[in-house]
Amino acid sequence: MIIPEFEYVAPGNLQEALDCLASHGVEAVLLAGGTDLLVRMKQRLVKPRLVVSLKNLEGLRDIKEENGEIVIGAMTPLVEVLESERVGKHLPALRQAMGKIGAPSIQHFRGTIGGNLCLNTRCLFYNQSQFWRSGRTPCHKDNGQTCYAEENSDRCRSANLSDGACALMALSCEVVLASCRGERVLLVEEFFTGKGESPFAIEPDELVLEIRVPMPGEGAGSSFQKISYRSAIDFALVSAAVSVRVMDGQFEEVRISVGGAGAAPLLLKEAAATLYGKPFNDDEAIEATSDLAKKHASAFMVENLGSCLEYRQKMIRILVRRALKEAIVVATG
Amino acid sequence: MSFAVNGEEVELYISPNRTLLEVLREELELTGTKESCGEGVCGSCTVLCDGVPLRSCLTLALEMEGREITTVEGLGEQGRPDPIQQSFIDHGAVQCGFCTPGMLMSVKGLLKRNPTPNEEEIRRGISGNICRCTGYAKIVEAVTAVTTGSGRNATGS
Amino acid sequence: MEKGFSLIGKRVPRVDSLSRVTGEVQFAADLKLPRMLVGKIKRSSLAHARILHIDTSRAERLKGVKAVVTGQDTGGVKWGVFRYTQDMDFLPRDRVRYFGEEIAAVAAVDEETALEALDLIDVDLEELPAVYDPIEAMASEGPWIHEDYPNNVNVHVNIDVGDIEKGFKESSLIREDTFTAAEDDYFMGEPYAVVARFDDDGNLEIWMPNAGPHMKSKPLSNALQMPLHKVKVRKIAIGGAFGGRSEISPADYICALLSRKSGRPVKIVYTREENAVNVRMGHALITTIKTGVDREGKVLARDITCYMDGGAYSSTGPIATSVPFLCMEQAYRMENVRYNGYRIFTNKPIRGMIRMHGRSFACGIDLQLDMMGEELGIDPVTMRLRNARQAGEYTPTGSYVSSCGLTECIEKAALKSGWKEKYGNLPPWRGIGIGINSVQTGFPLGIRGGSQAIIKFNEDGGVTLISGVVDNGQGNDNMLVQVVAEELGLSMAEVMLITADTEVTPNDPGSYSMVTTFAGGNAARLAAVDARNKLFDIAAKALEANPRDLMLKDKKISVAGSPDRFIPLKKAVRMGLIQGMPVSGEGHYAPKVDHTREWVKNPKGQLSEAFSFGATIAEVEVNPETGMVKALEVTAAQDCGFALNPMLVEGQFEGSVAMGGQGGMLTEHHFWDGGRCLNPTQLEYKVPLACDMPRINNIIVESLDPAGPYGAKEAGMSIAMSAAQAYAAAISNAIGVTLTDFPMTPEKILKAIEEKNQGGR
Repeated sequence: MIIPEFEYVAPGNLQEALDCLASHGVEAVLLAGGTDLLVRMKQRLVKPRLVVSLKNLEGLRDIKEENGEIVIGAMTPLVEVLESERVGKHLPALRQAMGKIGAPSIQHFRGTIGGNLCLNTRCLFYNQSQFWRSGRTPCHKDNGQTCYAEENSDRCRSANLSDGACALMALSCEVVLASCRGERVLLVEEFFTGKGESPFAIEPDELVLEIRVPMPGEGAGSSFQKISYRSAIDFALVSAAVSVRVMDGQFEEVRISVGGAGAAPLLLKEAAATLYGKPFNDDEAIEATSDLAKKHASAFMVENLGSCLEYRQKMIRILVRRALKEAIVVATG
Repeated sequence: MSFAVNGEEVELYISPNRTLLEVLREELELTGTKESCGEGVCGSCTVLCDGVPLRSCLTLALEMEGREITTVEGLGEQGRPDPIQQSFIDHGAVQCGFCTPGMLMSVKGLLKRNPTPNEEEIRRGISGNICRCTGYAKIVEAVTAVTTGSGRNATGS
Repeated sequence: MEKGFSLIGKRVPRVDSLSRVTGEVQFAADLKLPRMLVGKIKRSSLAHARILHIDTSRAERLKGVKAVVTGQDTGGVKWGVFRYTQDMDFLPRDRVRYFGEEIAAVAAVDEETALEALDLIDVDLEELPAVYDPIEAMASEGPWIHEDYPNNVNVHVNIDVGDIEKGFKESSLIREDTFTAAEDDYFMGEPYAVVARFDDDGNLEIWMPNAGPHMKSKPLSNALQMPLHKVKVRKIAIGGAFGGRSEISPADYICALLSRKSGRPVKIVYTREENAVNVRMGHALITTIKTGVDREGKVLARDITCYMDGGAYSSTGPIATSVPFLCMEQAYRMENVRYNGYRIFTNKPIRGMIRMHGRSFACGIDLQLDMMGEELGIDPVTMRLRNARQAGEYTPTGSYVSSCGLTECIEKAALKSGWKEKYGNLPPWRGIGIGINSVQTGFPLGIRGGSQAIIKFNEDGGVTLISGVVDNGQGNDNMLVQVVAEELGLSMAEVMLITADTEVTPNDPGSYSMVTTFAGGNAARLAAVDARNKLFDIAAKALEANPRDLMLKDKKISVAGSPDRFIPLKKAVRMGLIQGMPVSGEGHYAPKVDHTREWVKNPKGQLSEAFSFGATIAEVEVNPETGMVKALEVTAAQDCGFALNPMLVEGQFEGSVAMGGQGGMLTEHHFWDGGRCLNPTQLEYKVPLACDMPRINNIIVESLDPAGPYGAKEAGMSIAMSAAQAYAAAISNAIGVTLTDFPMTPEKILKAIEEKNQGGR
């Protein structure tokens, strides 16, 4: 299906890109790898007047260590994040997430970490062709007033299915946004609005510059778990990521995030808190926490992915538990 | 825009909304690369961009400014197929042939990064290419044969 | 069969593989003709509605639009596979019956203009109540989807053989179970595409993927009201059919109409979504099977009722309603059996024939045998052996089975898979299961049941074979070349082929009844033998020998036993030319079937001249926490009569395991939002990927059918069915619960495990 016409500009450097967004940001979309954007344009879910290509922004393609943080430029291809020694050593959850995205052989060269972070939310009733959606009133995410996933819902019930976002939420990172007005740093949990209609706290004149993940200290570990029907290509039915710090045999810090449940990766603070101070090998506590994570995440979920909702909710408990156990293994060496 | 396709410099005047796949098939009449899903799932549109696999159906042509594209037509030479093409023929890895060009390009990409993949690595390397006819078995055999010089060939030896 | 074949029975690469690995071969969407227009179809966005008005004037006025067509351009012609099922307008005039049905079409200079034109066509529809569930559809009080079919019952096939009451009375164990399956779908690699061109004399040339060009040309000639000789369905590379491209599609007709109206060639290329929804898909089924067995597990009676969701039009209804049952009556002895198959209309996309014929049906029969065997203390393999079809028997509906290697298949598959050691002894959550298939090699197709082939020689001894056979990707073209090259002592590179072009090639029944090798291969072989006999007559005179003592090998006609008494083939051809008796070959073959047999009115008599049989065993591992299935190993043993090319036959086995087993039983199904298919694309309809496929063992069993060429019969699609059954049985074995709703997705498996743990079920 042919893509509708638009104007195209490929700024030569970051400043040019920001200038362009300052003038035209409202009617523009940013093109990184395009593996999500182009599909949505073909489906006429988005019809931008202007496409701003980031292909020349080589400066945004970088993984480095700075001020106790691992800084990854937004245009860094997934394969480079996946194969980075630094990431593999310190941020196993992120590496695992990269490995699970799409088709490893093809997508990883083209997809970018920034693009994956900004993967738009999804719903089976929304991510369809223009024809499929015709003949009835559009849904909330499609600039309409109704929801087909959950009857009578007054808001969009689409879900965040980005593997990278789920992992980064657990790892706790900063998202650095740039515009002509300067730089703005958001915590990852502030970056996601939780609103399916507009999932990201990005202003029209901004772009994501880089993500900054704090170097995990001693006793740190993380893990990402995903369940999908096929071993490649598929989005997650649900996913879970955990980062922990174990000191003196006890949980000191725990972050649990669940993907595929809400319009943002869900940071389950309450569930995570139940582990503080507990011994790392307290299987009962881990099980109870996983169960609580399932309970809390389930409250956000509706039948929006075409799979049995009940099943996806059940899997949250399994994945959180697996992520916890694996993160502990990493943490305790 | 100007870019290279199968070793030849190409200069075209292209509207921004054209994908690389459309330009290859229509402007350049290289119809070997196929569209089977249009959404970047099936891999039939796979080409190599600077030696690395790329889904041409999800790539705007203008993004390819200055790049080197290799399509299936760029493999081997007239009368002398690339060893991987010959291996596909010899091992019965081709049935209807619709997925074959994309499959070959993914394999070329894989072998460039990893010249001696084991079976699991081969299967992972082609996990972005959907084939409905073969069940993948003989495709894996064909790739194995080319990398190890062993594997059963057409005469059963 | 040690006859010293050079090519037959050998693993030779296909002659048409090169053009596929280079990307040179052309599929319909690759064609480019001068002044060609882009065609696009406007579709109904309601599932059931009356057409009040269609206004195309704004579209017609758009610059770049060269033709617009609606139902008004069709002359009211209706299509149906059978004379008694002609219920489909290619472009409807009064009603649309499913979401996505064709309403109008345009041909324009480019895609953008065509799409814009579609938006300018104003369609006024009056919504009618729609029904999506077949049971609800049957209970509906109207308006019915088709006025001629009360209660939306499209087809009712009734078969009643023997005395099932007596059989049940004598049974020591009776079970009744209901099995359900959602729709499955072809998802062949190539999305549907059509190119049509009329010349100034009113001849139509048309290219589209098909499972029999002669099966497309006749309906087109009827619909366009043109004589057959002016409708030329051309040869084109085809990217898979799997049962889904046998009938004429509205796209074919619409493309021809647009071409005729615009005076230019037109190309229509379907999106993946259109290919999934607007051509055909498989039926959803609800199958209730009641079976009675004796103490040894021998089936004494069976009563089957099957409701099939047919979608909005008849399509191949009578065939689709019958084949699931017929496959099983071939595979297993059923002296007393009753079958009632109902195909029901719903306001959903149209269903047709598909390779995994009726998975709830076939899987149900086999799973039930497992369950009954368990109660009797008889293992699944033994249950199959007790009931397996044997050669020399008759099926319940009266087909004589001339060759059958089913028992050998079962035994060999069991041996190779380690059944005896494994069954009942696997570690927890591992299971092993068996499925049995049988498929027709052709069915009664009336005047179109036979194939004819012609061979012509060039003066340098080269040969061209002309045959109506079509290749969907399985290697049919190569089969013809292999056969002719063998019989004429040539290399495969020396046999040229003209196939599947209705202007040039004689009739052929097409590939969708699995009869290509049997009919087309036989016809080609006979044509080659005919040519060879003529060559021998000429050579005999030259060599002063008896034609019966001659042999043809390596392009030489020689006297058997005296290799230095020979003349080159080329010379014999030239002698024929100079003598005014040019050598050519003609062969034809029509399978001996009962032409009075009719799917609905008279389902009795010889259905096919031969049947293939097979057994598939699968071993799986189930994760009890997630319900996810890992397929470990599959062993497929199939009696294909004789493998003309084992490498190609294996390719069919492996593809079948992927489609029927891995996909068909684990992930493939359509789900719905009313009349909208929620997963019409490759992302959400999940066909297997390379990283998920198990190891596959292929066992070719050769029963040497008396009528098949070299003994060959159906070998292409059968294992898709038994692989589904084997996966189903293996999963049930692994979790200790028999699931009755397919595919067996992780959610269903997990639920069954949980219910079992809670003491439920």
